[in-house]
Amino acid sequence: MTQTVSSAISAQVQTDNIPLRFVTAASLFDGHDAAINIMRRLIQAQGAEVIHLGHNRSVDEVVSAAIQEDADAIAVSSYQGGHNEYFRYMVDSLRERGASHIQIFAGGGGTITPAEIRDLEAYGVNRIYHPHDGLQLGLVEMIEDLIARAQQQRQATQVPDQVELTDSSSIAAMISALENDVFGEAELQLKRREWAGVNSPAPVIGITGTGGAGKSSVTDELLNRFQQYFPQKRIAVLAVDPTRRRTGGALLGDRIRMNSLRHSDIYMRSMATRRQHRATSLILRDAIDFLKAVGFDLVIVETAGIGQSDSEIVDLVDFPMYVMTSDFGAASQLEKIDMLDFAKLVVLNKYDRRGAEDALRDVRKQWQRNNLAFDLPAEEVPVYPTIASQFNDPGISWMFANLCRLLQGSLDLPAADWTPEIDTRVKEPRATVLIPASRQRYLADIVDSGRGVKQSIERQAEAAAQAQNMYLALEAVADTDLPAMLGLYKPELISETSERSLKVLRERYNQAVHELEP
Amino acid sequence: MLQHWRGQAENARTEKYSYQVRGREITGANYRESLAGLKIPKLGLPSFHDWGSLLRFLLQENLPGYYPFTAGLFPYRRAGEDPTRMFAGEGTPERTNRRFHLLAAGQPTARLSTAFDSVTLYGDDPHKRPDIYGKVGNAGVSIASLDDMKKLYSGFDLCAPTTSVSMTINGPAPMILAFFMNTAIDQQVEKHLRENNQWDAAEKKIKELLADTPPPLYTGDLPAGNGGLGLALLGVTGDQLVDAATYARIREQTLQVVRGTVQADILKEDQAQNTCIFSTEFALRMMGDIQQFFVDHKVRNFYSVSISGYHIAEAGANPISQLAFTLSNGFTIVEYYLARGMQIDEFAGNLSFFFSNGMDPEYAVIGRVARRIWARAMRERYGANERSQKLKYHIQTSGRSLHAQEIQFNDIRTTLQALYAIYDNCNSLHTNAYDEAITTPTEESVRRAVAIQLIINRELGLNFCENTLHGSFIIEELTDIVEEAVYAEFERISDRGGVLGAMDTMYQRGKIQAESMLYEQGKHDGSLPIIGVNTFLDPSSKTQTEVEAELARSSTAEKDAQVLAVEGFRKAHAEHSEELLKGLVITARDRGNTFASLIEVAKHCSLGQISNALYAVGGEYRRNM
Repeated sequence: MTQTVSSAISAQVQTDNIPLRFVTAASLFDGHDAAINIMRRLIQAQGAEVIHLGHNRSVDEVVSAAIQEDADAIAVSSYQGGHNEYFRYMVDSLRERGASHIQIFAGGGGTITPAEIRDLEAYGVNRIYHPHDGLQLGLVEMIEDLIARAQQQRQATQVPDQVELTDSSSIAAMISALENDVFGEAELQLKRREWAGVNSPAPVIGITGTGGAGKSSVTDELLNRFQQYFPQKRIAVLAVDPTRRRTGGALLGDRIRMNSLRHSDIYMRSMATRRQHRATSLILRDAIDFLKAVGFDLVIVETAGIGQSDSEIVDLVDFPMYVMTSDFGAASQLEKIDMLDFAKLVVLNKYDRRGAEDALRDVRKQWQRNNLAFDLPAEEVPVYPTIASQFNDPGISWMFANLCRLLQGSLDLPAADWTPEIDTRVKEPRATVLIPASRQRYLADIVDSGRGVKQSIERQAEAAAQAQNMYLALEAVADTDLPAMLGLYKPELISETSERSLKVLRERYNQAVHELEP
Repeated sequence: MLQHWRGQAENARTEKYSYQVRGREITGANYRESLAGLKIPKLGLPSFHDWGSLLRFLLQENLPGYYPFTAGLFPYRRAGEDPTRMFAGEGTPERTNRRFHLLAAGQPTARLSTAFDSVTLYGDDPHKRPDIYGKVGNAGVSIASLDDMKKLYSGFDLCAPTTSVSMTINGPAPMILAFFMNTAIDQQVEKHLRENNQWDAAEKKIKELLADTPPPLYTGDLPAGNGGLGLALLGVTGDQLVDAATYARIREQTLQVVRGTVQADILKEDQAQNTCIFSTEFALRMMGDIQQFFVDHKVRNFYSVSISGYHIAEAGANPISQLAFTLSNGFTIVEYYLARGMQIDEFAGNLSFFFSNGMDPEYAVIGRVARRIWARAMRERYGANERSQKLKYHIQTSGRSLHAQEIQFNDIRTTLQALYAIYDNCNSLHTNAYDEAITTPTEESVRRAVAIQLIINRELGLNFCENTLHGSFIIEELTDIVEEAVYAEFERISDRGGVLGAMDTMYQRGKIQAESMLYEQGKHDGSLPIIGVNTFLDPSSKTQTEVEAELARSSTAEKDAQVLAVEGFRKAHAEHSEELLKGLVITARDRGNTFASLIEVAKHCSLGQISNALYAVGGEYRRNM
């Protein structure tokens, strides 16, 4: 039976061609993320887009994410108890916020009993999977069932009647409408004119960079500073991650890093590239223009730095930033990085890495060469060292102050609105060195010394055996000067002995005993 | 060494032994008699006549109690004490307190292991909001304030040499520990007042102090064994009742004698278990602050951290990774504390370890390898004294090795794992209940689990001997192989910039996941035989997993009580809390000692209040994928 269901789904997905969107997480105060990690991978493999939030997520965080992301469904694992309250509250919250169409799926191993499952499903949870289901269906089939159910309840993309800045549902719906190509060409032109008519002064910052450079940490820290110093500004974030060609699914992994979303009204939307890069750019431009028009004061666009298309973002934003680390190899490699031509600000993150100071010098020089700004003093070159992983990093704060300054300059923004009152006395990251560089090799040193001890034990054991052999031989020949066991012959007893074999035995015995550590 | 050997060997063959520990003489019998009337030696001795073999034995193995402590830390096991801990944690502090007293009844010592509910584990306060409310008091005790802590351990004198407490908490460990230390101090203030005929005056003072608020109370009757010690000062603190000098004296004395362990291992949380609440760097700094406070106040009998491999293993790591990650975490803490300016012998004695014992062959020697690597590194690299060279560890049998199918077989697995642990001379041991795979253990299943240890310790004859593993070719070879495998893993971590560098790229986490997958795969395809699960299936039962378990849950009344208690606490202490939290934030920002500040803050602020204040200076944990 499962087979027919699953083939039916895949047919539908193909005709539909719009991936389902899931928000996945583990419940509040629950660190068990192994199961949900497996499930979200299987969901992605079925061609869905997954916004993964990780462990310890409150109902409010999950529901807000699902609404902002216009998700079709939520999948949450709960192994820590309290599931009855948690999922009922989630059903209630979705209803209160007009988002009852978002389906809830859950699992919690044996911690959620079959009776509780029945009650929660009656209350409005679409399906809670018990270990029995996994055993009877198989994991993949279980996820196919989940996909089929989500697909069945899926709400068609609709253009919202009215879009309001404070109503993230309506904003989310509009972006989906753009993403899912709901508008006809004429209608879209009309919209574009409408948005252009608003003439929003909101700046658009683009953040791109190599994978693992810490883009989303930098973005999160920037959001934190914007919130702190401009609490009245409304901010929207668009984060783009690549679609996997093979499955059509995508892991949208930026939201998990954003701590600043927790206590704020920042709007964030994760987007997948969905096959055609060109189309993505077009939709991205429309989405940006829409967000500006609807009233956000600042739009931040983060794109994955995979492949050669990093610099595509430059045409879409007012202020491109590039996040990199010192991990670029020889200085000549910098000549190949397009973004160093276009970026108005470069962040050299992970400045606590070895060689980071040289890298800073090299990147600054390259930026000067690219921008023909040889006379600019090094510290005025807009390349800023940061350690975004460190809370309240002064490097980030200094970079943020300069970002505001440069934004004003290049976009002609009113200084009064865009000058943060921030303490920038410290301008470089202050690496909190937990373990000093000179002791970084502590583990290797322990290994060397441990292995060294072992070798020396073997040597000593051999010496002891040798000493014993010699001692027994000397006993056998009834050496009258034989010392106590492990005692030594006086040197003259060796040098002045005329009998050759006795001399050799005594000599070797003494040598062996000497090799033993006291 | 060779010369001393003969004397050492002769001492093990006299009728009685005797040796000194920290100025105390310890004596005991060298033999235990069997029913057949044979005198079974406690120590098996090597019969080598060859000096080479003997020297190798002395340098690689040695008798228990002698460097490199491969066979054990102490010459003999402690007589008359089973290394059994009493585990509890459910619902309100009162309910857990009753359970502790039940478990401790009739026992010579109270070794109380405490599990906290997930609200507490994540540093929050009980609250009516449903996603919080539902977790209050489930799978652990709810502790949100000093008053909760006072109720939890009431009736146990926390300064008695027979009491020791272990607290399984990590992210908010500094706050919980501050509650605990205050609880211990206030108990001693209470005793002081009663012993010096100052109680009546104090009682009057307490009434005054609590005039405006309903006094917090221990709900319900005190259990047998609970004389009420610790409850008299609910709602107030000792420094409000005695003069400053007396308080300071009692406080210092208390800190110097109080016994226990707090897990507080933030490295393994980031690598495996996920109950991090602050940014890792800040969390480590707070660990260092605790240790510095311990050094400054001579806290000698309390372990400031339990460096844990258990959760790494439970998350799926194989025994080599468990051991290598845990020891490398330990050395990282050592390097960090040294870098802060503490001396090795000032703090090494406050470190303890915690491992899992599963079924794998490597578990037969996990303690031997850990002790040898640690002792050698401490002596050779750090120049540490003998006390610091001794790696002390607790073993819990593997929860992951228990299965829902054929649940009665689980005790067999636990027994074998306990045997590994006891033969390896672990310093303390927890045996899991067989039904833990599906539910909260019942009194019946816990009793059986304790019986496993008792049967090995008191009935099993080979265990009369305390170095059973000595002289076995395979044990020696396995010890060498595992030691070398751990060293090889150290090198891989070192190549990634040490433990912290490797964590940056999630090296440990990735490896644990990969090893977990390998286990699941083997379990699934049967290449890893698990009796009653993937082979030797019970032909009579058709649906093996249809075990309907009754799960222990906290009641609505208990949850409401905790929500009300913390609301009441916050209200009653409102006039102090804001100022204290501000001070704490400033201390943290100026890189002062946060724990010294927490000891004061804990008197008037709830757990959630403190966590929230610290997020602003320490940063929240940023999740990874």
